[in-house]
Amino acid sequence: MYVSPIREPLVRGGKTYSQITKDILAPMAGRPSVYWYIGISLSVAALLFGAWAIYMTVYVGIGTWGLNKTIGWAWDITNFVWWVGIGHAGTFISAILLLFRQRWRTSINRSAEAMTLIAIMCAGFFPLIHMGRILLGFFIFPYPNTRSLWVNFNSPLLWDVFAITTYFLVSLIFWYVGLIPDIATVRDKAKSKIRKAIYKFLSFGWTGSVRQWTRHETVSLILAGLAAPLVLSVHTIVSFDFATSVIPGWHTTIFPPYFVSGAVFSGFAMVLTLLIVARKALNLEEYITKIHIESMTKVIILTGSIVGIAYITEFFIAWYSGVEYEQYAFLNRAFGPYAWAYWIMMTCNVITPQLFWIKKIRTNMLVVFIISIFVNIGMWFERFVIIVTSLHRDYLPSSWAMYKPTITEVGLYVGTFGLFFTLFLLFIRAFPVVAIAEIKTVLKASTDKPMQQDHE
Amino acid sequence: MVMIAIGVVSLLYGALAGPGIKRMAANLLLNNYYFLSLGLIGLFFITAHAVSESGWHTSVQRIAEAMSSFIPIGGVLLLVFFLSGGLHLLYEWTNTEQLDEVLQGKTPYLNEPFFYIRTLVFLAGWSILAYFIRKTSLQLDIDGERKYFNRLRVLSAVFLVFYALSSVISSWDWLMSIDAHWYSTLYGWYVFSSMLAAGIAMLIILLYVLMKMGYMEHVNTEHIHDLGIYLFGFSIFWAYLWFSQYMLIWYANIPEETVYFYDRHLHFSGVFYINLILCFVVPFLALMTRNSKRSFTILIPVSVLVVIGHWFDLYLLIMPGTIGGEASGFGLVEIGTTIGFLGLFALVSFLTLAKAPLAPYKHPFYKESLDYHTHY
Amino acid sequence: MNKYLTAYYNDEEDLLEGLNKIQSEGIKVTDVLTPFPVHGLDKVIGLRRSRLSVIAFIGGALGTLIGFFFQAWVFTVDYPLAFGGKPFFAVPSFMPVTFEMAVLLAAYAIVFAYLIHNNLGPGSKNIIYDERITDDRFLILISLEDKADDQIKEVETVLENAGALGITLKV
Repeated sequence: MYVSPIREPLVRGGKTYSQITKDILAPMAGRPSVYWYIGISLSVAALLFGAWAIYMTVYVGIGTWGLNKTIGWAWDITNFVWWVGIGHAGTFISAILLLFRQRWRTSINRSAEAMTLIAIMCAGFFPLIHMGRILLGFFIFPYPNTRSLWVNFNSPLLWDVFAITTYFLVSLIFWYVGLIPDIATVRDKAKSKIRKAIYKFLSFGWTGSVRQWTRHETVSLILAGLAAPLVLSVHTIVSFDFATSVIPGWHTTIFPPYFVSGAVFSGFAMVLTLLIVARKALNLEEYITKIHIESMTKVIILTGSIVGIAYITEFFIAWYSGVEYEQYAFLNRAFGPYAWAYWIMMTCNVITPQLFWIKKIRTNMLVVFIISIFVNIGMWFERFVIIVTSLHRDYLPSSWAMYKPTITEVGLYVGTFGLFFTLFLLFIRAFPVVAIAEIKTVLKASTDKPMQQDHE
Repeated sequence: MVMIAIGVVSLLYGALAGPGIKRMAANLLLNNYYFLSLGLIGLFFITAHAVSESGWHTSVQRIAEAMSSFIPIGGVLLLVFFLSGGLHLLYEWTNTEQLDEVLQGKTPYLNEPFFYIRTLVFLAGWSILAYFIRKTSLQLDIDGERKYFNRLRVLSAVFLVFYALSSVISSWDWLMSIDAHWYSTLYGWYVFSSMLAAGIAMLIILLYVLMKMGYMEHVNTEHIHDLGIYLFGFSIFWAYLWFSQYMLIWYANIPEETVYFYDRHLHFSGVFYINLILCFVVPFLALMTRNSKRSFTILIPVSVLVVIGHWFDLYLLIMPGTIGGEASGFGLVEIGTTIGFLGLFALVSFLTLAKAPLAPYKHPFYKESLDYHTHY
Repeated sequence: MNKYLTAYYNDEEDLLEGLNKIQSEGIKVTDVLTPFPVHGLDKVIGLRRSRLSVIAFIGGALGTLIGFFFQAWVFTVDYPLAFGGKPFFAVPSFMPVTFEMAVLLAAYAIVFAYLIHNNLGPGSKNIIYDERITDDRFLILISLEDKADDQIKEVETVLENAGALGITLKV
């Protein structure tokens, strides 16, 4: 298919197909670098901190947390929503960009999908542990029992159970099906017997036959078509946890698309944080090019601006509604005891992404990295502000209270970071970080130098 | 041409024969807003694709430009409508002597001077941007110079930001304030999604008409397929927003909010369900298969139904608040006014189409669009 | 005895050209193995349109029905309880779970159908014809079930003329 000459190339360096294979498999070969070891030591340490926090929560009890009568949700649900939001970028890149035929997704989708899976695991952990009796966690599923009890299908918390479970299972299968041809590449290039046997098993007998490939593309397309509304629905259902209530600041119809935009916003920021480091560390700069980074910053401008418009809409309608509780909720956010959190949120979410309108900033890797971190911080504070400020002062002034996190809650959050980075570092070693086969399909149309033939 | 003449005559007939001036006014508002929005969606189509550097849309770009040429005309008509008494007739907050406590609280925003300032800013902004974007697009066609391409991108970005804010605020002003006691933060986006689906459907219909007349040979099946995908996707998106708004209000069951749907269930239940069926069920089921989106056989009937469906959507947004259950109906006034506006819209669009070559030959992405084929 | 010929190309454009030549000589190509999906290859080989989308639709429809009617049964027949003033047959409440079930069943139906139908799975015994297929080689496979030796020679000549490399007879 003809590609206009004014388009920038997606793969630099005049690569041949076998060079692509070599470059992408390189991080998996040999011994890991010293940075990898440092990274995994830190993340395992964080994981152990989390393990201690789990012990405290389960053995001593939920009382080790800072929750109280009025503020029943705080760090636990903030972290849950934050992690789910991050997970959305992976599916967005894999599914929605596929449906929109954006070829630049091919070098970033594999790692983004892996990030999604790990983020969902981190997210799902919080609802489980916040129930206190984690050993009875299976109660949330509708199974026939002798007490004739079913789960409450009317509750958004239950809809969450179905949504997160489905999201995890479908993302898993989408990631894995896409990975099969690349696992076959690893299998065929593997030198040691054990390595070959493991990847042979995992590759499911992939031969590269035209039949397998054609059907594979059909399956990928249909899975993308399923995953796209799925990702919208998951964060929508998460937003329903709040919007179906009657609490000022929570009950507002804009939450579903606003949460989804915010999720894509923070998700892309996390992808940027990870990939700006990964592309340098794994020598993949010719695959994850400045164009890819720039395209992601443009998605951040778009979603960040949507979030900004949602903020403006919320303030205005709060005033317009004439409902004094709603109006107070917003005044309290900006000027009450948690105002510091609110202003961090506004600066990070509304101002910093707008900097990406400037091309010089979009293409400066260090600045993009810093801004991506700010966006993630900002989005964490957004969830915190929504949850805690609305809960701590709602209708009855006599119920007003304050909240402070305890070391146990902090430990759980740090633990999820440990889980995230441990699994991601392991992923880098175990599987190809870039979708090898997909990159090869865009090579011809998108390279900056003509390909040399690579005969032996 | 003849249809257009009939259309304009119907407009006059519809305006004079209406049972009750309020109903005529409501219909004028409905159709005026509808076709103005369709024009805006045309502009949105061009600008969104320009900013995302997409190439395939260039083959149908001229149709979208033609739709956007209706913006100034729809805008002027709307302004005239408001100034000549439409505002006072339909919007109860203009009745400043008899405002209750709630509405009094809203007067810093809902007052006539501020209303007119906002309206003028929006209409002027849209018309100016539409004019410059069309001009740049035509300049690009003269020599394909890079600077016009970049200017198109910049203007598109400006329009998108302006449109994001103005479409939301204008929907509050012109539609939501009809039911001035009620509010919904999702409203602006909901109305936008409704117009978006209808706009794509209208674009498809115009494309079909042109192709039937023998033009637009450069448009291939893949382009039609992508437009069909848009129609399918945006209809689902509309249904998603419809459900979000409805379910959240239903679930929390706060009387202040549920009153909005109460009247609609009671007196307008037929339209309520027709709305859902035409705007969601039909496109969802009929456009699911790949082949249905690749030819006009199914695509055109579905597009027509979607355009009608979103007309009913606007009907539900406007009629209950202005006329109420007993006085409203669906008769000559509705059909006449609609045909009138449709005729005007078609007239303006076709005049614009005639003014420039139907394919933007020198556009840097045009060759890509010609060769456009996909494998799924 | 399973006799077959393998030959390869280094580039997908050469592959497509070569295949056209080979097929125009009347030779039936059994399979083509590539490192990535080559567009247009399925048409050249004459692959039928897949019916996987039907499976996805059936899975989705099943999920919708199961999800919706299970919730409806639980809340209207088996154990109706009044939650927050909601009616027993609470259609808006049932929608999220119904949707999720539809997506879940559709996705798993299509993936399992795909894997089973293409003989892919943890214990699969598919033959790997050339280890460079997953790297940069585009392989053509021609099965020679009951061809005599001179016929085989003919096929090999055709392949040579079509620019194929590394023509080998395998058993």
